[in-house]
Amino acid sequence: MQYCRNIAFFLVLFNSFQAFSESIYNINPIEVSKDVYVFIGDVNNVNNINGGAISNTGFIIGETSILVIDAGPSYLYASKVIEIIKSYSSLPIKHLIVTHHHPDHSFGISKFIEIKAEIIMSQPETHMYLKYGNRLLRQVKNLIGDDWFIGTNIVKFENSNQKFPLNLDLGGRKVSIELFSQGHSEGDLLIKDMLSNTIFAGDLVFNERAPTVPHANINNWNKYISKLMKSNWNLLVPGHGELIKIKEKLILTKQWINYIDKVAKQAVLNGTSPAEIFNEGIPASLRKYKLAKETWIRDLPLLINKYEFE
Amino acid sequence: MFKIIFVIIFLVCSKLVYAGPFSDFKAGAGLSEELASSPTERRNKPNSDSIVQSREYLDPKNSEVWNDLQNELLGENANVFFVDDIKLIMQDYIEEAHKVPLIVTLPKRLQNFNKFILLIENNPIQQVISLKPYRAIEALGMNVRLEDDSPIRAAVLDNEGNWHVGSKMVFVASAGGCSTPACDPAIEVCKVGIVGKIAVKEYKREAGAQRIKLKITHPMETGFVVDLEGEVIPEYFIKKIHVDDKDGPIADIATYAALSSDPVILLDLPEKGQSVRVRVMDSHGLEFFSYKKDNSM
Repeated sequence: MQYCRNIAFFLVLFNSFQAFSESIYNINPIEVSKDVYVFIGDVNNVNNINGGAISNTGFIIGETSILVIDAGPSYLYASKVIEIIKSYSSLPIKHLIVTHHHPDHSFGISKFIEIKAEIIMSQPETHMYLKYGNRLLRQVKNLIGDDWFIGTNIVKFENSNQKFPLNLDLGGRKVSIELFSQGHSEGDLLIKDMLSNTIFAGDLVFNERAPTVPHANINNWNKYISKLMKSNWNLLVPGHGELIKIKEKLILTKQWINYIDKVAKQAVLNGTSPAEIFNEGIPASLRKYKLAKETWIRDLPLLINKYEFE
Repeated sequence: MFKIIFVIIFLVCSKLVYAGPFSDFKAGAGLSEELASSPTERRNKPNSDSIVQSREYLDPKNSEVWNDLQNELLGENANVFFVDDIKLIMQDYIEEAHKVPLIVTLPKRLQNFNKFILLIENNPIQQVISLKPYRAIEALGMNVRLEDDSPIRAAVLDNEGNWHVGSKMVFVASAGGCSTPACDPAIEVCKVGIVGKIAVKEYKREAGAQRIKLKITHPMETGFVVDLEGEVIPEYFIKKIHVDDKDGPIADIATYAALSSDPVILLDLPEKGQSVRVRVMDSHGLEFFSYKKDNSM
């Protein structure tokens, strides 16, 4: 009897171990409006269970074509997304919008190039993707293993003629793509589906999760969020975190970026080392954000370095 | 069933052994609450494991390199005390290993010291700096490269000839701070920027005390980085930093490529310095000054 239990235990252990090692994305889309789907990313940091799928991605089905928002963290992820889309519609995937170059949003690009989708990405972010892509890829491989990134490559593509705002027609469905320069990143794209009045804000908005600031211009970012708060939408899909229906939720992103900005500037003024600030722990007002500590520790020295000796 | 009892006995025993003969070693010194809540993602190990792990790593008895390091840098028959009042303030869990800020604070009893050495055990370049002070120093800061998880040791030589060592264990998520380029030559042209630009800043602290912060632009090549053609980029780093003011020298610092590129050095003095100046020499013999050379003292 004891033996049987032991064997059963090891079987369970073995199977769960296999599940981790097989690098499978367990993602399911939710239909937020008719023919508008969102994959909600994992709230945790990149790990070898979520395979880096930490940001929200989505797709919109028109009458003649399909548009995908963000490529996800890897070739495998993008393949999974495409496989799922095919189970909903046999229409071609004509466009992939990459909101910005960060790995969790862009590393699936090579798969979409394979299926001949047009890649829409702002020029500065395309430049960053090509410039830092391989290095970032090595970093995420180090972090969670090579298996998740089989087929993932940093590839060049032609997108030099794109002008924003860009209006696309998916057949009976108009989608507008707007560029927000020098905000969260050097050139974030925001996607608005006119029919459902849904906005995919990319990482311009984080919901209850710590926003990432290394490439940010905090002044502009603030303005962009204010603008989004004033504009009219039914549903906003943030880059990370749950879907947003009320505008007040956007304040969370503002509060974080303004706080970290203030602390960084103060540190430069007083000659404080980031090490000393970390020693104080995470400020109480920021603890409610998911991934507060990881983000605080990663971003603050970068920000201080940026303002220091400027 | 027996197996389980065995395991429990083993666990208890191993705990006792680790607490064992190194009675003056303060394992707790380098462990903060931060670590307890920092999962080491790369290993996917529970937090409590990281603490046990780091205690084990920190104990010099378990270190494969400490004995040699001690003999080489602190002296063959050095009198070494592991203490917990030399504090290493830095993150426990590091994502970007090319530039890790840290500060070492010294207790009152050691602020008038003879020599300070910072060591990173598991780095290919273990010594970061060796500093000879001419005045009391309360704290020292710098940014360093970390190749991998490592105990960090801050060793202070007092005026009686005894070494006092503070320790801290840090975990590195993305290893290779010494052996991977901070700029990736596979995808970009890595131009060497201006070398030897020095910025010196002075900050007031409480009660007339002062913080001096200097930043020197320099690639600080480790000699472990390989370029696109597979050629090793030769080592090239700052060797000496001399800090002084109107009242004379403040510190002589020997530096190594375990310091980050564009290194930042921070010194906390109990008294205000007067117009602090910096003179730097690198491994090519180039000299840089934070002031015009001809009106040197």
